Amino acid sequence: MTAIAPRRGPTMHLYVVVWIGLILIVGLEVFLTYERLPAATLLACLLGLALIEAALGVMYFMHLKYERPALFWSLIPYLLFALVLMDHFWPDALRLMRQRMPGP
Amino acid sequence: MRAQAGAGGLTEGSPYGIPSRKLGMWLFITADAATFGAILFAYGYLRLANPNWTHPFAFSPTIVNGIVMTVVLLTSSLTMVAAVATAQSGRTSAGVRWLGVTMLLGTVFAALHLREWFAMIAAGWRLFQNPMGGSPLFGATFFGITGLHLLHVVCGVIVIGVITLGFRRGRFDAGHVETTALYWHFVDLVWMFVFPLVYLMNVR
Repeated sequence: MTAIAPRRGPTMHLYVVVWIGLILIVGLEVFLTYERLPAATLLACLLGLALIEAALGVMYFMHLKYERPALFWSLIPYLLFALVLMDHFWPDALRLMRQRMPGP
Repeated sequence: MRAQAGAGGLTEGSPYGIPSRKLGMWLFITADAATFGAILFAYGYLRLANPNWTHPFAFSPTIVNGIVMTVVLLTSSLTMVAAVATAQSGRTSAGVRWLGVTMLLGTVFAALHLREWFAMIAAGWRLFQNPMGGSPLFGATFFGITGLHLLHVVCGVIVIGVITLGFRRGRFDAGHVETTALYWHFVDLVWMFVFPLVYLMNVR
């Protein structure tokens, strides 16, 4: 069997700091929601903050920052690429909205 | 790549430096992330294509409940990393305790979620029924997305329970706890997208 030595991870102190940061970001999301921003601006802000939360979680709680870089480069760019490809559906949603028949 | 002699002949070292089960979990997580991504994109598509989309959520009780659920789930991730840290340092009983706390928090999250579901169902919400008169697709997307996430949470609580029992009896090691933790953190991360997109984008 191949022996795989455990790699050094973050300390509990760092985990708690990340946890506090994540909770503060959730608070910021709720605050922005009630600032009555335009829908597109709010969506961009919320998505950006959710991506920061995901990055913090993946890098620290899931230890990806402390694994070999090959794992990151084998997983994350391809997942992001697959998600970006889904963006191609938006123009069709807008087409549907324009084609909607007016109500009676 | 370095080849090493093993009991059954030559085996190659992992190119990622992690055990196979952990790599398998990462592959599952990326596939599941793409699934949730597709569902959230479909939700966005339906929302954009329906100008009469409903915004039913008031700050109290729905958003307050959502904030409490989010804090509970984030805290369960913290207790899970504590479980992994204690398990890796060989403190089995402390690891079992932290796993128990994580299960408890996961159960609280599921209970809060179900309470909210039952309140919405009592108010007339169904998969294809909107009591507020807007697009009936709201119920389908809301119950579909949150239901799939809730299913992941319930499965996670059950798996953590199985791993906890095995870890306490010595059948599972710290590596199993760490692999389970990866799944649990992923469930937490999915909620970081569900809460803003499904709840906060639909406040009154």
